[in-house]
Amino acid sequence: MIELRDCHKTYIAQNGQAAVLALDGVELTIQSGEFVCLLGPSGCGKTTLLKAIAGLLRLDAGEVRINGQPVTGPGTDRAMVFQDFALLPWANVVANVAFGLELRGVAKEIREQTARELIHAVGLTGFEGHYPRQLSGGMQQRVGLARALAVNPDILLMDEPFGAVDAQTRRLLQEDLLSVLGRTPKTVVFVTHSMEEAVRLGDRVVLMSPRPGRVRDTVTVDLPRPRPSDLERHPRFADLTEYLWQQLKEMQR
Amino acid sequence: MSSAVGRPGNRGEVTGQGRGLGLRDSSYTWVSLLAGAIIWEVAARGLQFSFLPPFSSVLRAAFELIASGQVTSHLAASLINLGIGYGLAVTGGIALGLLMGRKQWVAYVLEPYVSALLATPKLIFVPLVYALFGLSRGTQIAVVFLSSFFVIAVNSMAGIRSVDRTYVEMARAFGASERQLFWKVLLPGSLPLTMAGVRLGMDHAVKGMIGGEMFITLFGLGALLRRYGDRFDSPRLFAVLLVVVSVALACSAVVREVERRVTAWDGEGT
Repeated sequence: MIELRDCHKTYIAQNGQAAVLALDGVELTIQSGEFVCLLGPSGCGKTTLLKAIAGLLRLDAGEVRINGQPVTGPGTDRAMVFQDFALLPWANVVANVAFGLELRGVAKEIREQTARELIHAVGLTGFEGHYPRQLSGGMQQRVGLARALAVNPDILLMDEPFGAVDAQTRRLLQEDLLSVLGRTPKTVVFVTHSMEEAVRLGDRVVLMSPRPGRVRDTVTVDLPRPRPSDLERHPRFADLTEYLWQQLKEMQR
Repeated sequence: MSSAVGRPGNRGEVTGQGRGLGLRDSSYTWVSLLAGAIIWEVAARGLQFSFLPPFSSVLRAAFELIASGQVTSHLAASLINLGIGYGLAVTGGIALGLLMGRKQWVAYVLEPYVSALLATPKLIFVPLVYALFGLSRGTQIAVVFLSSFFVIAVNSMAGIRSVDRTYVEMARAFGASERQLFWKVLLPGSLPLTMAGVRLGMDHAVKGMIGGEMFITLFGLGALLRRYGDRFDSPRLFAVLLVVVSVALACSAVVREVERRVTAWDGEGT
C-alpha cells in the first residue's frame, strides 16, 4: 500500500523568484495490486507526485509511506519507466534491460538470462544485440518496460510512458502492458494526459488540477478485467471518458 | 532487419559525394599526394631556390638516413618520450577532467588555471622544465606531457558535463550508488568528448615533442631537424621532416581507430 500524506512541493524557478506550487497538500492512498492513473493537464504535479513515490525528490512537507515505511530514497521495491525511455545509448538491449540487476550486483550470466526472458515477454526477441538508436520509439519503450520488470518490483512507476509514440503503437503497448501485468500482477502508478488511456488501463483515475497541484477527483473505473480490446464499445467507457473530459474542460477555464 | 541501420564508420557512407574522376574515395588522397610530389619536384628544379631541394633528393636523403641507421635511434628516442609523456597526459588529464566535471568546487578552483594553460604555448615552459630535470629524458617527457595534458583535461570535463540528465535520473531511480553512477553512466557517457580530447592531445603531443627536442638538442627527431637546419642541409632537413610527418600521421591514425571503437555507439560522433 502506498500512502501520500499532505504532500507539499514548491519548485523555485532559475531566477529565484517565480515559485511553482507543484504539490499542495496531496492526499492519496493506493492499494497493493491496484492500477492507478494520474490524469491532468500539464503542470498539475503528476510527475512530481510520481517522483516523490520513486524517492527521487525531497518533499517540502508531508510524507510518502510504502507498506507503512517512510520513503527516503529509491528502493528495490519500485522501478520506473520514463517518458523519454532513458535507455543508455552505449549499451545494447540486453545490457539495458539488465542494468537494474547489474546495479544490484547480480552475476552477469544470471542477469542476462533474466533480461532475455523479459525481452521475450515484451516481444523483442531477435533484437537482443541492437542498440537503442537502431530501434523505433515503441521498441525502445518495450526495452524500458523490460528493464523495469527485470528488477521484479512490487510497484511500477510509469511517467507518461506511451506519450512519445504514435497512436497505433500506443494501443499495442497498452495491450501488451496489460497482458504482462496479467501474468505478474503489480501495483502500478501511471501518469498520463490521455483520458482514454487512463480509463482503458486503470482501476482508478486520480484527476489532478494545476497551479497549485491538487487532487481534484478520484474516479473508479468499473470496467471488466481482463480489459477487452474493443473496450471503447462498452457503454461505461463513454460515460467515464465524458465525465473526465468535462472535469478537464472546467479546469482550463 | 537491422541492415538499414548502419554503425558509424561503415564503408560506403561517403561514397557518391565525389563522383568526379570515377575513382574510389581513398584513391583521391593518393592522387593528391602524387600530384603534390610532382609539383614539388618541378617547382624545385624550375625555381632553383637553394633551400628547396627537389623531392627526389629529399627521398634519396631519407633512404640514406634510414639505411645508415642514423634516424632510427633518434626516432626511437622520440617515440619513447612521446609514449611516456602522452601516456601520463592521458591518464592524468582524464582523471583531472573527470574530477572537475564531477565536483563543481574543484572546477571553480582549477578552471582558470587549466583554461589559461590550455591557451599558452607550452614551449614557454622548456627553460623551467630544463631547470627542473636538466639534460635528461625527463625534460622531453615533461614537454610532451604539458603539451597534451590540458586539452585532454578540458575535454574530459566537458564530457562529464555533457551526459544527459535523464540517464542520471534513471540510474538513481534504479538505485545506483554515487560510485555506480560514475562508472556505469557518467564515464561511458563522457567518452565521445573525452576521446576527442585524447585525439587532439596526440596532435599536441607530437608538436610538443618536436618543439622540445629542437630546444634541447640532445636527442630525438627534433634534435636532428635542428642539426640539419643549422647546417643548411636542406635535403636531410626535409627528409627528417618527412619522417616526423609520417610519425604524426601514424600516431593520429592509431588514436582515431581507438576512438572509433570506443565511441561506435555514438552516431553523431567523429
